[in-house]
Amino acid sequence: MHGIILAAVLISTYLMAIAKRMPALIRSFRYQSFCLFLSTFIIALAERRPGLYIIAALIFALKVCLIPYLLYRIIGRIKVKQDIGLFINPQMSLFCALVFTYLSWLVAGYLSAPEGYPKTEMLTAAFFMVSQGMFLMIFRKTALAQIIGLLTMENGLFLLASAVSGGMPFFVEIAVFFDVFMSVLIMGFFVYRINNLFTHIDVHKLSRLKR
Amino acid sequence: MPNPLIIILHIGVFIVLAPLISGLISKIKNNLRMRRGQSLLQPYYNLAKLFSKGEVIADTASWIFRAAPFAVFASALCAALFVPVFMAAAPLPGVGDFLALIFIFALGRFFLALAALDTASSFGGMGSSREMFISALAEPALCMAVFAIFLRCGTTDIPSIFASCGVSVSGLAAALALFLVAIAETSRMPLDNQETHLELTMVHEAMVLEYSGRRLALIEAASYIKQLVLFLLIAQIIFPVTPEYRAAPAQIFLSLAWYFGRLIIIAAAVALLEVSVAKMRLFRAADFLGFAFVTGIIASLCAILGI
Repeated sequence: MHGIILAAVLISTYLMAIAKRMPALIRSFRYQSFCLFLSTFIIALAERRPGLYIIAALIFALKVCLIPYLLYRIIGRIKVKQDIGLFINPQMSLFCALVFTYLSWLVAGYLSAPEGYPKTEMLTAAFFMVSQGMFLMIFRKTALAQIIGLLTMENGLFLLASAVSGGMPFFVEIAVFFDVFMSVLIMGFFVYRINNLFTHIDVHKLSRLKR
Repeated sequence: MPNPLIIILHIGVFIVLAPLISGLISKIKNNLRMRRGQSLLQPYYNLAKLFSKGEVIADTASWIFRAAPFAVFASALCAALFVPVFMAAAPLPGVGDFLALIFIFALGRFFLALAALDTASSFGGMGSSREMFISALAEPALCMAVFAIFLRCGTTDIPSIFASCGVSVSGLAAALALFLVAIAETSRMPLDNQETHLELTMVHEAMVLEYSGRRLALIEAASYIKQLVLFLLIAQIIFPVTPEYRAAPAQIFLSLAWYFGRLIIIAAAVALLEVSVAKMRLFRAADFLGFAFVTGIIASLCAILGI
């Protein structure tokens, strides 16, 4: 059962690689977070830790509902064209994602224990998500796509933590959630301001001085 | 020596059943769009009409144009012989496996593309070039899915795959890849549209535009059979549990219900996908099928990891 969820996480992350428009990217982030929620919920059921239930509920509330909603609102508000600005076209991105998967599988093979934690498949998915998030931050032009990249990295780190030690301590987790939520709020506001000021959100044009 | 009666029965089931799936899909699609839609049996009426009509063949057409529908139909039937339907075994044991199935489909497509070029109509050439473009992308994805299944089950023989493999993550991912490829192979919505003859978008329809009457009916029947074969494979990989084949009437009824239930689920999924997506630009096909390819690779990865 857990394997199916991990495969779904992988597939939703590949969906991010081929997304060409902002709504598609947000939708795939939502799928990814939902899979993460399911994974956490299943671990919570298996290990009967009440803290994990709360964390799963928080994932659902924040990453599946609230953050995608905020991002949708921002793209509705700024009314720029919804292209996310690709440096590398979808096919090449997909190919890069494949290479990342392979590399993270290699790394996970070195790190994983033969039995018990950390499991190879979870480590593979976690490393892959982190590298894919970094990829999105580097190779997409618009600020919103880079926010999604950051959130994907955060999701990957969460999965990494639960792969290595069955989850971070409860209070650390809560703090991280509020951190993420606040950062999305602030970055969303920031994107909105950038758009008002410059009439676009392409971060590569920001390095030029405004006259 | 396989029993000839069983082979004839097997082929008969395929020919009779195959148009029903198309009718079912179009019925579900129309109902989802709040329309009443055509009757479930409409594909049969179409076939009957086409078989009773005379046909027109261009003066410039060579023997390839005349022979191609038979080659296409024969390749579809041949592929159908590898897939078990109402028994646990295929009627021709040990003759062909999953990989052979892929290339038998490719043979039919090859003849269809040749025939479309043969009459030198501009639509035919355009259609066959597009079809080859799409199938060149679809084939690696299909092969990848088959390799994943091979890694998982240790065999590419279809009846043994059906018999031996339980539910697994790699199987599900492979089935997803197969599903995406089946969408492309049966010329369905994100890549092609069966419902229109709009010249800018048609792929399969452009290839068969020159055909009429009996030969057109044969090509249509072949595409129905191909669709049924692909759906059966997907259904069997997603829901690998086969009820035991005993001679008791209740058991036969149960296995038939199970068999149709799976096909109805697959048909509903196809219809849902077709209603909910818009047609892609032709060159977006590379993204769509590239995704299918990557899904196949995920399936292989999961098979290596043993999940």
